Amino acid sequence: MKKVLSLLLAVLMILSLAACGGSTEKSKTVADEPKTDVSKGQEDTKETLAEKSGKITIWAWDPNFNIAIMNYAKELYTKDNPNVEIEVVDIAKGDLEQKLHTNLASGVIDGLPEITLIEDYNAQKYLQSYPGSFTDLTGKINHNDFAEYKVSLMTLDGKVYGVPFDSGVAGFFYRSDYLEQAGYKHEDLVNITWDDFIEIGKNVKQKTGKAMLAFDLNDGGLMRIMMQSAGKWYFDDNGNINIANNDVIKEAVKTYKAIADSGIIKQTSGWDEWVAAFNAGDSASVITGVWIIGSIKAEESQSGKWKVAPIPRLNISGSVNASNLGGSSWYVIEKTKGKDLAIDFLNTIYGGNNEFYQKILVDQGAVGTYKPAQSGASYASEDAFFGGQKVYTDFSEWMKSIPAINYGLYTYEADSAIFTVMPEVYSGSISIDEALKKAEEQLKNQIN
Amino acid sequence: MTGATSSRSFVKSNNLYGWLFISIAVILLAVFLLYPIVYSLYLSTTSSKGIVQNFVGLKNYIRLVKDPMFLLALKNTFTLFIIQVPIMLLLALILASLLNDKTIKFRGIFRTGIFLPAVTSLVAYTILFKMMFALDGFINTALMNLHIIKEPIPWLLDPVWAKITIMIALTWRWTGYNMVFYLSALQNIPDEIYEASEIDGASKVQQFFHITIPILKPLIVFTSIMSTIGTLQLFDEPMNLAQAGVTSATTGPGNSLLTLSVYIYNLCFKYMPDFGYAATVSYVIVFIVAILTVIQFKVAGDKS
Amino acid sequence: MKTRNIAKKIIVYVFLISAFVVSVFPFYWMIVGMTNKSVDVIKGKMTFGNQLINNLTTLFTTFDMKGVLFNSLKISVLTVIGTLIISSMAAYGFQIFSSPAREKIYNAILLSMMVPFAALMIPLFRLIVKFGLLNKHIGLILTSIASVFIIFFFRQSIKSFPHEIIQAARVDGAGEFRIFFTIFMPSMRSTYAAAAIYSFMNSWNAYLWPLIVLQTDEKKTVTLLISSMSSAYTPQYGVIMTAIVIATLPIIIVFFTFQRYFVQGMLGSVKQ
Repeated sequence: MKKVLSLLLAVLMILSLAACGGSTEKSKTVADEPKTDVSKGQEDTKETLAEKSGKITIWAWDPNFNIAIMNYAKELYTKDNPNVEIEVVDIAKGDLEQKLHTNLASGVIDGLPEITLIEDYNAQKYLQSYPGSFTDLTGKINHNDFAEYKVSLMTLDGKVYGVPFDSGVAGFFYRSDYLEQAGYKHEDLVNITWDDFIEIGKNVKQKTGKAMLAFDLNDGGLMRIMMQSAGKWYFDDNGNINIANNDVIKEAVKTYKAIADSGIIKQTSGWDEWVAAFNAGDSASVITGVWIIGSIKAEESQSGKWKVAPIPRLNISGSVNASNLGGSSWYVIEKTKGKDLAIDFLNTIYGGNNEFYQKILVDQGAVGTYKPAQSGASYASEDAFFGGQKVYTDFSEWMKSIPAINYGLYTYEADSAIFTVMPEVYSGSISIDEALKKAEEQLKNQIN
Repeated sequence: MTGATSSRSFVKSNNLYGWLFISIAVILLAVFLLYPIVYSLYLSTTSSKGIVQNFVGLKNYIRLVKDPMFLLALKNTFTLFIIQVPIMLLLALILASLLNDKTIKFRGIFRTGIFLPAVTSLVAYTILFKMMFALDGFINTALMNLHIIKEPIPWLLDPVWAKITIMIALTWRWTGYNMVFYLSALQNIPDEIYEASEIDGASKVQQFFHITIPILKPLIVFTSIMSTIGTLQLFDEPMNLAQAGVTSATTGPGNSLLTLSVYIYNLCFKYMPDFGYAATVSYVIVFIVAILTVIQFKVAGDKS
Repeated sequence: MKTRNIAKKIIVYVFLISAFVVSVFPFYWMIVGMTNKSVDVIKGKMTFGNQLINNLTTLFTTFDMKGVLFNSLKISVLTVIGTLIISSMAAYGFQIFSSPAREKIYNAILLSMMVPFAALMIPLFRLIVKFGLLNKHIGLILTSIASVFIIFFFRQSIKSFPHEIIQAARVDGAGEFRIFFTIFMPSMRSTYAAAAIYSFMNSWNAYLWPLIVLQTDEKKTVTLLISSMSSAYTPQYGVIMTAIVIATLPIIIVFFTFQRYFVQGMLGSVKQ
């Protein structure tokens, strides 16, 4: 009997010990939280900076891009604020979203970081699903310094909730050597439509034997580029589904099918195959967000052989030769211990440090949406990898023409609905009108 | 002490020890398993956008019937279940009975090699398969060099081929695992039974159907139930095989790899988070597994 | 007759050899991948390269491979020990001291195996936070040591354990716990070995749950590291392959050390 009792005691002890462990952890408090009065983004004086102390945890994905950039930001900030501890945690994108949902849904902030990265397409979903969980940064960050289309994505009921980060401004990256071989100059590739693009592709295929585009027919990336180039989305401004009678989507689907039928693509499945295709020189071009630069440049042997043109536009009125794919921003979680410190950190580096933006542009190819930085030296520099083209000047220019869009709450649901019917469109077993009707029906039933 | 009281006190203390032995596990399971199950049953009567939650009663169950994505996930899961599980178990049975033949040389090496896939982590092996089944990956290159095919097979680009690919992957990972169960049971069948039937003129095929399968019946039921549970909860494989970088929203071409568990995941973490509806879908899985388990017992005619 | 037999033999061997090659080939490829550059791995290069040292260096310097390996090992070993003791005790309790009430509990526990984990994640996470187990390895361990499958597995094996031994020990005056720890446990070695392998593999390869419980880099397991490496914008496949090989090695070692017991134990558990 004694043994039994001691065993039960042991179990109880294990349980209570574990519980205690949790509370001791919590007792670590921020000694002296900084007062934040940084609406102008001006640097504080040295004396007040030295007083700042505490800890900030940051969640982000991609070690070569966001994490590397954040680590540099951390280095800059902690140099002036030696008592501040910043931990940057690297989590895969899907995993990060899952952790964020689990933590926010459970209603406890112990496990949440002060700052997290959120993809623009998902911003409204988080803001509306978890009211009160994100810090209102209106007036704490000078949002006028950032590209408007970015700011509008993080605005809910007139309040701005984030600090805009990288741009997904889209570009038509092409192999100048292949295109020249097929008889095309840079001017021939500027200001074109998708129909022109397919024609050029056919010539390239014929003359060089190379596919024009590395492309995953089951991926909605290009669809989003096409839609935003015409200022339209899966939903109208009131958030109602707008697919079956949406001329822009119809044109985009038509273009997808035309691309599929033209035989000018190198088909890939998933990210790595796609990157491998253009790294191996199997395709003459790739059309996507500017963040791909790092992956293109990873194949150093192709230096000098690439150039960038504006993306093709849809053959429909209102479509422009500029668009966006992806991009993400920083958000501060309400009620976390280091919240004020986190705001100060973001404001000091992301909201006011020009040097920082120049450096991450050169090192990571990250195009920020902080407007003052775009007149910096690095943005005007010639890039030898792109044959001396001032690519970042071009990207900054195109960024200004990107139509602003409200992505709404259900971008991924809509994407999924459309791409469930796309295989049938490719095989020709249903017409485009039928397909769009089917997708709209599906989406309606799914999201009520 | 009379016999009667001693036996009663033994039963009593017996009972106490019974509780003591199971206490820790039962307490842990009650906290970490039972409570979440009950809680999610409650969740299934709510509908939510994140933490904005409404009570909807049984509406979620009605919503299911009209939800095309759910029906697609159900169809995909069943296709995998009906085709892949029988093929895998049959293959495992054949391999086990071949390797039980004492005249076969290098049995140990064969057994070990065929079991080896079962030690790999699900995340790791799917990453490997995704690379091997790429359009110009190893499999297509090899098949083309052998002149078996002229054009590369769109393994992960076509809805039908994508399903075939995941079936191949699952079969690779789990056949050896199931084989070990069968093999260990077969090794306990006395050789005399086979020898006797051989004298009676039974062929190897007849032996397989008339001796091996009947003896393995309880095991076949066991493995098929485990495979049923596994297939209906299939998650890591479709998730990693279909992972299309950062911009894709479907799981496999045309959502061909969307399984029920992936759909639950999407409802919680990818789409507008509706934990209530996700819980409802989970209970559908529980219900289906329960029915299939009963059927499998019935088919096997096993009363236990 | 004889040639037919030989033909049959050939077919059998061809079948076995192809099954063997198919099963083992990806392992060969994995090892080749360790020695190649990222670009070559994607291209499906089949021959050994000279990047092994590079990949290893990157893995252990850029990423905290040593740390995550230690974490995985710690979690897995503790989970295995806990699972073996607690789950086998429960199985013993259910089988040796069977009673209608406990039988009902047992059946309820078995049924719960059918509930997909995804459904339990949110409430389970709430609990973890409430108990202060967030971002603690003990949180992972506590939630997995009472394993339904292992309890089931042990109970099946115990059915064939001779009751007379227990009776004899009782007559000799041994306490119930002493019987369990000094008589039962040692005589069920192969069952314990099989359960150990099974729970080690599960714990080592676990992905979804550790992902949610562990919040910071220094607590991460090796499976989480591999997943985060492979979802980068520019994944380094040679390094990933190296990580996969290193992460698979411990399981292979554990498995081959206890292989004999594994087969015996599996058998004991399912033959009833």
